[in-house]
Amino acid sequence: MKCLLLANESAEVLFYWTDTEFEQRVQEQYGVSQEEGERLPAFEDSINTLFAPIIISCSTMVDRLGDNYTSFSTENNHIYVLHQFEECLYIAVNGDGDETEEDLKRKIFVMKKLTEIMFGMVTFSGALLRKELRPQDTEQRNRLWKKLRSLLETYSRLRENDQSFLVEAVERLIHPTLCEQCIEFLERRLVQQINSNMDRMGEEVLHAFILVHTKLLAFYSSRNASNLYSSDLLALIILVQDLYPSKINLDETSELESSSVPEVFYTPEPSPPERESVRQRGDSPPVFQFVDPDVQMAEDSLQTLEAPTPDPSAPSRVFLESKECPMPHSMYCLPLWPGITLVLLTKVFFYYKTSKAKTICTVSMSYLFIYLFIYLKSTFTSQLQNAWTDFKNKAFSRSGSGFTRDLLPSCRNMKTQLCGVYRQFFAAECMGSSQRLAPHLQERALSMVQEKLMDWKDFLLVKSKRNITMEFPGLIHFIYVDRSNGQMIAPSLNVTDRTVSELGKGPLADFIKKKVWSLVATAQRYLQKGYATVTLRDGDYFYCYFLWFENETGYKLEVIDIPSSPDDGAPVGMLTCDYYRKLLRYYSKKHQNEVVKCYELFTVHLGVIPNEYILQHCSQLARKLWEPTRIPLL
Amino acid sequence: MSMTVFVLLQTPIDQQELLCGQLAGVCRCVSELSSSPVRLLHLRKSKYAVRMKDKFLWALSCVVDIPDVSVCDLLDQLIALFCFYNGPVRQSYQLYSKQELALRWARYLCHLQGGSTELHHIFSCLRTIDSTHIDPLLLLKAALILQACQRCPLVLAGCILYRGRVVSTQMPPALTVKVMVYETQTYSQDFQVTANGLSSLVGSPFSSTATTQVFLMPTELHMLRCPPVDRACRSHCNQPPCQPSRSRLLSRTLSDTPTTDTDSSSLDPTHCPPPSYKTVPSSPRSSLSDELCFSPSPSRVNTPIHSNLMNQSEYFTPDSHVHSTSNGTNLCAVEEHLAGLNIKQDIDANSGSETKSNGLNSDQDIQSEEIKAPANGYEQSNCLDNHSDLDSQIKSEENKLDANNHVTNKNGNGETEEEAKTKSKQINRKLKEKNEPTNTPSPHETLEDTSLVPLVLYQHRVKGLVLALLVEPEFITDHSAREEVHHSSLASLNGLEAHLRNTSPGTPGPPGPYTFAHYDCIQNTLTTNVCGRSVGPQDQAFVKATKLVHSHFSRLDTLQEAIVRNASSAVYGTRTTAQETYFLQQGTPVRNSGSPDPQDSAFSLPRKARLRLLKHGVNLL
Repeated sequence: MKCLLLANESAEVLFYWTDTEFEQRVQEQYGVSQEEGERLPAFEDSINTLFAPIIISCSTMVDRLGDNYTSFSTENNHIYVLHQFEECLYIAVNGDGDETEEDLKRKIFVMKKLTEIMFGMVTFSGALLRKELRPQDTEQRNRLWKKLRSLLETYSRLRENDQSFLVEAVERLIHPTLCEQCIEFLERRLVQQINSNMDRMGEEVLHAFILVHTKLLAFYSSRNASNLYSSDLLALIILVQDLYPSKINLDETSELESSSVPEVFYTPEPSPPERESVRQRGDSPPVFQFVDPDVQMAEDSLQTLEAPTPDPSAPSRVFLESKECPMPHSMYCLPLWPGITLVLLTKVFFYYKTSKAKTICTVSMSYLFIYLFIYLKSTFTSQLQNAWTDFKNKAFSRSGSGFTRDLLPSCRNMKTQLCGVYRQFFAAECMGSSQRLAPHLQERALSMVQEKLMDWKDFLLVKSKRNITMEFPGLIHFIYVDRSNGQMIAPSLNVTDRTVSELGKGPLADFIKKKVWSLVATAQRYLQKGYATVTLRDGDYFYCYFLWFENETGYKLEVIDIPSSPDDGAPVGMLTCDYYRKLLRYYSKKHQNEVVKCYELFTVHLGVIPNEYILQHCSQLARKLWEPTRIPLL
Repeated sequence: MSMTVFVLLQTPIDQQELLCGQLAGVCRCVSELSSSPVRLLHLRKSKYAVRMKDKFLWALSCVVDIPDVSVCDLLDQLIALFCFYNGPVRQSYQLYSKQELALRWARYLCHLQGGSTELHHIFSCLRTIDSTHIDPLLLLKAALILQACQRCPLVLAGCILYRGRVVSTQMPPALTVKVMVYETQTYSQDFQVTANGLSSLVGSPFSSTATTQVFLMPTELHMLRCPPVDRACRSHCNQPPCQPSRSRLLSRTLSDTPTTDTDSSSLDPTHCPPPSYKTVPSSPRSSLSDELCFSPSPSRVNTPIHSNLMNQSEYFTPDSHVHSTSNGTNLCAVEEHLAGLNIKQDIDANSGSETKSNGLNSDQDIQSEEIKAPANGYEQSNCLDNHSDLDSQIKSEENKLDANNHVTNKNGNGETEEEAKTKSKQINRKLKEKNEPTNTPSPHETLEDTSLVPLVLYQHRVKGLVLALLVEPEFITDHSAREEVHHSSLASLNGLEAHLRNTSPGTPGPPGPYTFAHYDCIQNTLTTNVCGRSVGPQDQAFVKATKLVHSHFSRLDTLQEAIVRNASSAVYGTRTTAQETYFLQQGTPVRNSGSPDPQDSAFSLPRKARLRLLKHGVNLL
């Protein structure tokens, strides 16, 4: 019984997602309270009505007590988690015991991240976000909500089954030679060719990477590209998985593959994403299937940012973090084979407006009014001008209130105006443009990589399931994470697979998987409270967790006291508010002269092994695993 | 709908009603959505344990870093305590004035959290006397006094308390806690304050006896009347079904049961008589600092809870670290008579936007609803009267109470029929209780109004020493029985008191190079060398880690041990079904990187704890 919803301050539901059980429960409740013969209210209305008291109470508490609810739990173990971002309230509910309070909080933060990826800084303004999430046109809204729901479900699936989404770090395929070759190929052949081609229509490839399922084979960034953060990369993997979900069963995939004659070029079906995703989710029927997958997209989507792509060559618009503010990029997902995808990220050019817009973003991100002032001299948005004048009068003039709480409305007003300008420049602008890499160029790119990887394809698919093996007796599982580059290494835990993973399959593997999942959650809870080393003896198993810092040469740096974060803070992770980036920044302040790296190791051992041996294992393991993470990403 | 609102301690008056209205409304809404009462409510700056039952809702708040399990336990204890002295909730809300009720809640709350360390709050445990400096013979003597009293067939069980701490008890911990409130209250110089319906008061202020009516849950009573061990001297025991989950608690207190107390080793075997009754403080030697640090100074001891209510600063000294948690504690009890409160209906009626702007459950809504609510004439007028009197009541109340201690009251005497609990729910609850035995009985039990059984609490006080006995109601009228008990115990009590008074607390030895806490889940006692007042940084680190690991233990049954380490400290925690132990080695940790290292000193903690704690009577082998 699960539900997630977004509401604004006036208790209007901006988006919701529920599972079937929750929907049934709500309808039962309404069924009982309805008079005989009366029609059941629309489900959306029921949701609205049921949650309205909670939402209103939240804003009352904020207004009058300066405090807010963060969670409720009931005697039958239903959990409600609430979090307010700007003017939006997120509520996540679980009533089936599948998720903990922490899981729900994380889900909320991931939902927030996904909206940021889709709408950029527009999410900063409640009013503008409302416009985006609740377009007037019902058809359009249904389409958008369907997309968001599907993303949320994809995330939940990955979080439940994929270790890289458990620890929120990208998993790389450990094959240094092939990896290096691919990076070189991406750089010398692919990106160079595209960027020098006349048909790129003003697009410039900044990043290119190849995914095998959720694992990264190779990643290349061009020289003038800004850094792609791990949190964004993880979010992009969710997007790719949403478009081309990995088949749960590897065997089927390979059988299918091997039966087809290896052709020289494999061109994908024109529009597989929609069909495939729907079929995929057929196992656990989604609650909301508003429309059949073939529904024709309306062409008037200029008003919303989310531009669904009926045409496979059209890119998805994604907003990626940069130094100034989330900048729009075009993402091209090119499926090489089922399970293997090439992703290209291109910069969107805005001709003459770019520099000006950048200034605004700098401003609105940091509220540096000086910049704003410079900008205003040449602006044309009179509303923004008025907002600024109003703010100036209140803050700086003698008759004004000065820097007090009373200034908040003016600040808020200005924020809204700035977000409006941002939207105008980046969001609406991009959506309107039909700018894209020419389809033939995309096809060319696809076939080039296919050709390159043809001989490796089957190997890669198997490798992605058997990335690394263990050789320590008594060691059941481990996860090693390099937080400085956001990457992880772990043996596979494919409990649903027909192939036998290192742990075998069936109930034991499933049991271990649960234990690993709970170990990570536990370790993160302790880390949040400042504990960087944890060992636990639980039943027949012994669990260890270590977090430590090193300099670039591998010299282990001294531990520091990690500040403990409040219970309502962002969950520990990278996808959500990047805890580790902050942690590294915090540590680096004390080691300004060296590059600081941060590592984590989670292990599960049999409890009968003496502690000394377990710790020795961990120590050796950390040393061994240090090497593979040295593979350059470029 | 009408509400009875008590907001105690610390909440500014203007926030009380808002808070009560909002919390009650939101809890109702959530429990409707989930068809289950709300148990816990987190805010950013505080958290509330919640109990919803019939028309009653209690919410107890504390600061966020107290474990969930602890604050829930505290609320359950509090409600159990209220029912113990006042009987069925509904009845007492009709019987007593709001001021009186408010005072009582405040008193019970103060009792549960007064004068103990933060660790005591975490484990919600009994305060016991420091046995390390007491001749074991005295403990034995106390046990014998209790045994002697039991010769009277009307006496069910008893305990002996000295200056608010348990010397010896025959009762399970949950009952002992309840009995102790009354002791603390009567242990005051002011005998005029007898709020609990004191029915008799005999003797000088230095030696007096008193009886008061108390209410026990059937399970508790059954345990007292029919312990699982055959007691030949009792003949009136009929045999209702036994409660296996509880029985082990009592077996500890029976003379026939061989005692396995950890500190029985401290008793001289040559003097060891037939095993004693005692559930004695398992407090070992090193806690001598304990006595000095958090046993109250004489003036403190003599301060009755009641006057503490008048003067909050006694209890909540701002400089005292220990009390910082008490500082954050609020209690609000909201009694909802369901006549009008139905949030869903409200919203339907106001159809959306109107309700939204009003916010939910604002005070006006409540009052108007209340007036509209159909009730019989008498109750209706009664309720209105109460409202007109409200202001003056609040004012007078405020005069009585300290400024920090606001009591707001809105009372409606409406009775609506009880909501029938579905059978399956009850079964589920029973199952749940079976699976997680707690020291505190679930207030659901307490709240079954009809099921509470009246009994009498007899107390005989000799200065700081109190003999408290739970006796059958006939005891009050049976003059000879009273005489017998009084006379058989008087001399021994005097002697015991004199000995205890003359026992010097001993000089605290140098604090050990380690900090530990040992919690006995069965007897609900805590042994620790953490000093109540002067909490150093190491102790703070220890308490912080203990909180986290304790709440981890409470969530995960299979977890046996944990080591958690940050840059400045490492804490080892281990538990069995009967006990939890926490250990921190003091001293500056050697430089370490936190990377996996077999040489790391943190991993030698289990070995050290085993060695060090052996001399405290804690056996971790």
